[in-house]
Amino acid sequence: MDKKKRIEALNEKARAIEALSSGEQKSVDALQSADPLNMPVGCSTVFDTGWETNPRPTNPVGMCQPSAHDFLGCAGDCWWPAQNPDGMTNNADLELMCSSISRDWRDVK
Amino acid sequence: MICEWTDHQVFGVKDGAILFGVDQGTLFHIDEETRSTLARWNGSPTLNLDEVPIADREILEGLRDARFLAPAGARHRLEPSRDFDIASIPLTTMVLEVAQDCNLNCTYCYADGGSYGKAARLLDPATARQAARKLIDDSADRDAATLVIFGGEPLMNMPAVEAAVAEARSYAAEKGKQVFISLTTNGTLLTADVVDFIHANRIAVAISLDGPADLHDSNRPNLKGAGSYSRITANLSRLLPGATAPVAARVTLTPDQWSRVEEVFFHLMDLGFHEVGIAPVSPVRRELLPDAKQEDDLLQGFAVLAKAFLKAAKTNRLLPFTNLIDLLARLHLGQTKSVSCGAGYGYLAVDSSGSIYVCHRLVGEAEFRVGNLDDGAAPGEIRRALDSVTCGRQEACSSCWARTLCSGGCHYENHLRENQLGLPPGGSCDFIRRWLQLGIEVYAELRRDGSDEILARMGKRLKC
Repeated sequence: MDKKKRIEALNEKARAIEALSSGEQKSVDALQSADPLNMPVGCSTVFDTGWETNPRPTNPVGMCQPSAHDFLGCAGDCWWPAQNPDGMTNNADLELMCSSISRDWRDVK
Repeated sequence: MICEWTDHQVFGVKDGAILFGVDQGTLFHIDEETRSTLARWNGSPTLNLDEVPIADREILEGLRDARFLAPAGARHRLEPSRDFDIASIPLTTMVLEVAQDCNLNCTYCYADGGSYGKAARLLDPATARQAARKLIDDSADRDAATLVIFGGEPLMNMPAVEAAVAEARSYAAEKGKQVFISLTTNGTLLTADVVDFIHANRIAVAISLDGPADLHDSNRPNLKGAGSYSRITANLSRLLPGATAPVAARVTLTPDQWSRVEEVFFHLMDLGFHEVGIAPVSPVRRELLPDAKQEDDLLQGFAVLAKAFLKAAKTNRLLPFTNLIDLLARLHLGQTKSVSCGAGYGYLAVDSSGSIYVCHRLVGEAEFRVGNLDDGAAPGEIRRALDSVTCGRQEACSSCWARTLCSGGCHYENHLRENQLGLPPGGSCDFIRRWLQLGIEVYAELRRDGSDEILARMGKRLKC
C-alpha cells in the first residue's frame, strides 16, 4: 500500500516536509546498502590503503575507519575525496533530532 | 527507533481526517485506516517502530515521515521565543490617529467617542509630517512601509491627513521606498474633494458600515441620535467609481446581531465593496459579552459564508470575506507564530499628541504608552507593556493545539476581559479554536476540490 495515498500533504508546509522526507532518503546512498553492493570497482585496488572494505554482501562491511583515510585512490570520479563510510554514520535521524544545530547539539548522541 | 508523538490535532472529515501538526503548522489528510491506527497508538507515550506489528508499522512510518512521530527525547517542540531584540525589528506599520474626535456616537465605541478617554483633539500637521518621516526612517532596511490614517474620525482633520500623506509619499520617494496608505473612516465626510484626494493618492479605504440600514443605524448614530446609513451609502456611490485602491467594509456586530452575519455580508457585497471583514464587538462593557448561543450564531454565520466561499472557489472566484481569506492564506503557507500580533513588533500607533502606543486599540491606556515621536518607542517599555497582557498566558497556551496559530489572541481583548472586566483568562479561547477549526476544514476542502490557483493567490497576498 502506498503511504502517500494514506497520508496526503495539504498545505505548503506539509508538502515541504513530505519533500524533505523523500529527499532525505535519496540524498545519501550508502555504498554498503544496495543489493548488490554499491562498491566502486575499477579505479582502485584492494591493495590501496583505504580500501579495507569487504566486497562480499556479508558483514563486516564499510570497515574503513576515519583513521584509515587516505587519498591514494582519490582519482577519477568514482572515488570519494576522503573515504568516510556511510556505515559509520550513527545519526541517521540527525535532521529530526536536531533541527537547529546551535540549539539542539546536546541532543546529538 | 524509539519514537514519541509530536503535538497534533485530528479533525474528522467524511473520508478520514485532517491531521494538524501543531509545531510545524502542517496539514495532512489521512485515510480511515491511518486515522484508526493513529487512535490506537496515540495513547502510548513512546513506541518502538521496530516492534509494532507489521500491519501498523507502515502507517506509523508514514506518520513519522510527516513528523507526527519524532525520536524520543528530541526537542521537536518549538517553544515560542520572545527574547528577540525589539530594537532590531523595523517598523512596518504606523497607525496615525489624526483626530481623536468623532462625529458619530457608536454604541460600542472602544475609543470613548473617538477621544480615547481624553479631551477631543486634533493632530497638528507638523506632527503628522514628523510621524510620517519617523515611519519611513524606522522602516530601516525594509523597502516598503504602511501608514494607516485613523481616528476617531480622521476626515475631521483633513489638514493633518494631507500633511501626513504628502510627507510620507515625498519622503519615501526620497529614500527610495514604497509607502502604502490606508484610511479607516466612518464614511460620513467623504465629500467630492476628499474622494478626489483619496483616488489621487491611491489610498485604500475601510469604511465602518455594519450592514442594512436598521442594523447599522442602531449601532452607529450621529451625535443627535439619527442614523448614518443613508449618508454613508450616498458617499459610497462617489467613492467606488474610479477607485484606485480597494474599498473595504469593516463591520462590527454586537452579540444580538451575530445571527445576521450572512445577511450583513451579502448586503455589503451588493453595495459594491471590494472586501468585507466582520468583527465581533469588543466587550467594552459587560453587556457586550456574548452568551454561548450567540457564539454559536456567529460561528454558524461564518460557516454559511465559508460554504459560499467554497462554492465561489469552484468557479475560480474569490469571495472577498477577509476574515476567512486571511486565515486560509496563513494555513496555506503553514505559518506559525510565537507572538499573537505585530503590536510593538513593527507595528505602532501614534496618537494626536505624538505619544506612541503598542497598538491603535490600546491608545489612551497609560500602561501601553511606550514612547513619543521625539524619542521613539523604547524597546524596554514595549516589552513591559506586552508582558503585562501576555505573562501568565503561556501555561494555558502550552497545552492548546491552536497555540501556533493564535499565540494568545488580541492584547486589547485580553486587556478588556481580564484587567477591566475582571474575567478569568481564556474566555475567548473556545471561540477562537472553533473558528480556526472551521478555517482548517474549509482549507482541506479547497485543497481537495483542486482550488490550487485560489490558494496560491491567497498565499501570495500574505507573502507580500
